[in-house]
Amino acid sequence: MTVQPQAAPAATRAGGTLGKRVLAFAGHPLFRGDAQVVHGRNPYRRMLVPGSLAESDFDSPPGPGEWAAHRSLAAHRLLGTFYEAETVLLPEQGLDGLYEDFDLFYGRDLKELREGSVSELERFAFGCLDEAVDVSGAATPEVLEAYFQHVVEEAAAGPSPALTAIANARDRKSAADLYLVQLALDGLTEASAMSRNLAGAYGPEQSALFKIFIDEFGYGVYDAKHTTIFAKMLRSRAMATHVHAYWNFYLAGPLATNNYYYYLSRDHAKFFRYAGAVTYAEAVFAPAFVEMIKVFRGIFGDTVDLHYCDEHAHIDEHHGRITRDQVLLALAGRHGPRVVPELLRGIAEARLVGGWFEDDTAAQIRWADDLPRHRELAGSARTGSEPPLRVALTADGPFGTRSHDGDVVLEVERGEADLVTTPTGPPERLTRGEAVLIPGGRLYGVRPATPEAACLLHAVSPA
Amino acid sequence: MARVIVMDLSRHNTVMIGHDRYFVLHEGERSVLVRDHCPHRGGPLSLARRTPDGRRLSCPWHGTKVGVSAVKRSCLPMVRSGDEAVVVLPETGVPVSVIHKEILANLPPDPTHDEGAESR
Repeated sequence: MTVQPQAAPAATRAGGTLGKRVLAFAGHPLFRGDAQVVHGRNPYRRMLVPGSLAESDFDSPPGPGEWAAHRSLAAHRLLGTFYEAETVLLPEQGLDGLYEDFDLFYGRDLKELREGSVSELERFAFGCLDEAVDVSGAATPEVLEAYFQHVVEEAAAGPSPALTAIANARDRKSAADLYLVQLALDGLTEASAMSRNLAGAYGPEQSALFKIFIDEFGYGVYDAKHTTIFAKMLRSRAMATHVHAYWNFYLAGPLATNNYYYYLSRDHAKFFRYAGAVTYAEAVFAPAFVEMIKVFRGIFGDTVDLHYCDEHAHIDEHHGRITRDQVLLALAGRHGPRVVPELLRGIAEARLVGGWFEDDTAAQIRWADDLPRHRELAGSARTGSEPPLRVALTADGPFGTRSHDGDVVLEVERGEADLVTTPTGPPERLTRGEAVLIPGGRLYGVRPATPEAACLLHAVSPA
Repeated sequence: MARVIVMDLSRHNTVMIGHDRYFVLHEGERSVLVRDHCPHRGGPLSLARRTPDGRRLSCPWHGTKVGVSAVKRSCLPMVRSGDEAVVVLPETGVPVSVIHKEILANLPPDPTHDEGAESR
């Protein structure tokens, strides 16, 4: 989808230095996308939707209540790309034909742009956590243990909003696939962030974390590696298994959740926060996968390979115990009350971003599953007096997905277009004059169904 | 043993623990749960006003000035996420409840304040 430049003067809206750097990065040929909805088997290319990025104000970080803002999605797509450029990505089929992209992705030009922006972009994307979480009072190991037990029991007792949304969806298969894609963000590069905290010398706690890392990597046996068995699950759903095939469908919440662990691991001043966060994550994973198995079996029966979920439902019970006793409480005991507030903060932040993952995924599932109602809502929506943005669609133009800060009505002005909201579900065909309400924060893409098409985006006035 | 209570800060700002009262004191964007008790004679610091420099609370009972830093040092362990606050208390067996009260200590500093008694 290409937004015509006269509607969005890029350099003026994107803000100061950070805005200029991220526009320069996203404007690189690697990140301009292509006409395909699903990305090809090339880990270096991913669509950063530079046209929509140009509308984002990178001078105004999203606050705690603005996590669904488009600039939040844009920032986390960029951050995820920055972080992954610090890992080794090689295509399964070999580099033949991709040598140039390899050189560009890891090359000096993009590296300098990344290194010159990453800290500022992190402050932009995660600054809201500083406002959202406070830790105060005499933080003792006993307080840490009591708080941790409380939040873990709460997570085990509460239903998963995303899994509930899948179970209640009309098209449960598409909803389940959408959820799988959010897991694929981490599932296909699992433990990459964690690897950054393994180096150094910090006693038995280092060895405890390493045990978990070894498990994630299948004890060095490729077939047992968690990413390998995650791919088996995707394959059983006839879904693509290469890294970021479904890049266009990652939501802001899941992106932020994945980035959060990179963010903590990149900066060892945040090590204790990482220890709190990873302990929380490991403790809540096991019951979450038990619930996921029930929901997915209910939908797909025996046709889906849930070895990955079984593995986690089992091993994460051990990882939960190891991280609690041998990392979290051990670090608090060894290093004293000074580190406990950071451990608590990590738990609280991981709980918060995990909740964002759930809520964002649930909201996307509910919206994508109920497009007829959103067609009706478009008819009654009060659109503002601002002229609409005109979006030109051509068959060979790049496909990308985006969201908006507030509600918008998308109207087909010319030709026909397909509204794409899920990775595997059928697109919604819109003919000339038809419209649909896109709620703020919801991800969508549009592709032409006729050789040429055009859409109008009308901002909806708040009620 | 510890006891955990959960407060919705959009509805509650005060915790009663037996006969002791604690209130949510705002410090910039941060919130801390401090004892509603002036160290002089136990006046309600929740009804104190800040001195013009914002660094002390002027107890409404005898005008004693109590440093905000000192008040914060006595706060209960609390983790706030958005409007939700999880407070960890020692298990004493006394009844605990959460309520809403007027808190003047979170208002901007009082420009009419006079230099009365200082904290001991």
